[in-house]
Amino acid sequence: MTLVTHEPLDDDGHAEPGHPERPERLRAAWAGVADLSLAGELVRVAPRTATRAELTRVHAGPYLDEVGAFSYGGGGDIDGDTYATYDSWPLAQRAAGAGLAVVEELRRRGDGVGFVAPRPPGHHATRDRAMGFCLINNVAVAAAALRDEGERVLVLDWDVHHGNGTQAIFWDDPTVLYVSSHQWPLFPGSGVAAEIGGLNALDGVVNLPLPAGATGDVVRQALEEVAAPVIDAFAPTFVLVSAGFDAHRDDPLADFMLSAGDFAALARFAVALAPGPGRLAFFLEGGYDLGALRSSVRATLAAALADERPNEAPTSGGPGHDQVRRILAERRETLDLVHAELEEGR
Amino acid sequence: MSSHPHTIAVGFDGSPDARGAATWALETAALLRAHVVLVYARGLLERHRDPAREFALLVGQLVGRAGFSPLHLSWHVGDGDALSVLLRATEAPVFADLLVVGSRGRDEHAGLLLGSTSLQLAERSPVPVVIVPTGHTLD
Ligand SMILES: [Zn+2]
Repeated sequence: MTLVTHEPLDDDGHAEPGHPERPERLRAAWAGVADLSLAGELVRVAPRTATRAELTRVHAGPYLDEVGAFSYGGGGDIDGDTYATYDSWPLAQRAAGAGLAVVEELRRRGDGVGFVAPRPPGHHATRDRAMGFCLINNVAVAAAALRDEGERVLVLDWDVHHGNGTQAIFWDDPTVLYVSSHQWPLFPGSGVAAEIGGLNALDGVVNLPLPAGATGDVVRQALEEVAAPVIDAFAPTFVLVSAGFDAHRDDPLADFMLSAGDFAALARFAVALAPGPGRLAFFLEGGYDLGALRSSVRATLAAALADERPNEAPTSGGPGHDQVRRILAERRETLDLVHAELEEGR
Repeated sequence: MSSHPHTIAVGFDGSPDARGAATWALETAALLRAHVVLVYARGLLERHRDPAREFALLVGQLVGRAGFSPLHLSWHVGDGDALSVLLRATEAPVFADLLVVGSRGRDEHAGLLLGSTSLQLAERSPVPVVIVPTGHTLD
């Protein structure tokens, strides 16, 4: 199978001294790709700049103007986590465009697996708010483009943080299913099980909030027991993965205990959900330990390409197995409540 | 909702504007015999931050000056951006029925209009919101 990706972005200008969301991250991710020695099985498209029309599918126009003006004015801190520099805005638009270019190439070929390595990351950016290191929601821009082409899109988010931006953007959209496993409580605080989507898209959101210390077996159990039936019923025609690697046990920003081998298992789960070749793409989100990022990117893409070379062993035995039952119960209760209210209102 | 607030949540990040907001909230709560909850929004980079400890001295001064009983004061530390954390403070377990914020938080850049937490809060909050202007003092 071919890996369809893009030329690396020129992202050195988006940096702030001491900030963990730094250019070295992408070098580590690309090193993970190089470790696969794909040679002829690697296709790199040129990233392009996403157009305003492509961005306003998911972001408010005035928000784009404001962040753009802030960046071109020299930038600074947007909040305690999120920064922009003079170079951030053109980079962010190219990062979003790289995702679009990869997805377009996958559709044209009808074959391969996609990999997008954007900076800044995207899943915390809402329609009108930059936060959590994110300016443009890259995976949402791609999902909205696919949706407008008639696809039913699953966004599977295994970053250790809840993708509040992606969830909010597609909250009431029945053609995009958002599934997230994440540590909870943790930034951004959203992502409880009772958040199941808007009235037009009930069951359009599946949140799997899991405790600190969770291991790979817990995340897989939650995905298999809670998310898989909803995904089956949704029947996606395209799968985009918000592949953050900050759930790795070496990551400094969170407390999950996953190994690179667990990401390989998660990648196989994602492959099984895609309805065919050329219908799956991985978008890098977080991941702040450079070694873990490199080995996890390599493990994820190897598994997606059906390369069976060994990885770190998968992990098990962490807390959270009971939590899976509670998530199921909470989802059911919320659905019942909403249906009862709808009945009453009729 | 009853005629006056019982639980006043005030966004508190230690900034000068937050101190002004907290002072207003404490003095008002003393008059109304209401409870005050200092709300801190913990960012992505602040996982282990403990604002109650960090700001203990500062808060002690504010409480003393306002003549407020510390027994009716508590902290709520929520994960996320200030807007979301303050909105969530109107629900369990805080159940705030009044939100108080300074006009600008610690990290907010004056150039970002849409980023203004206080204005977005005023737009979205299910309970009354008081925005205490920069530099406000009661005495
Ligand atoms: Zn993350």
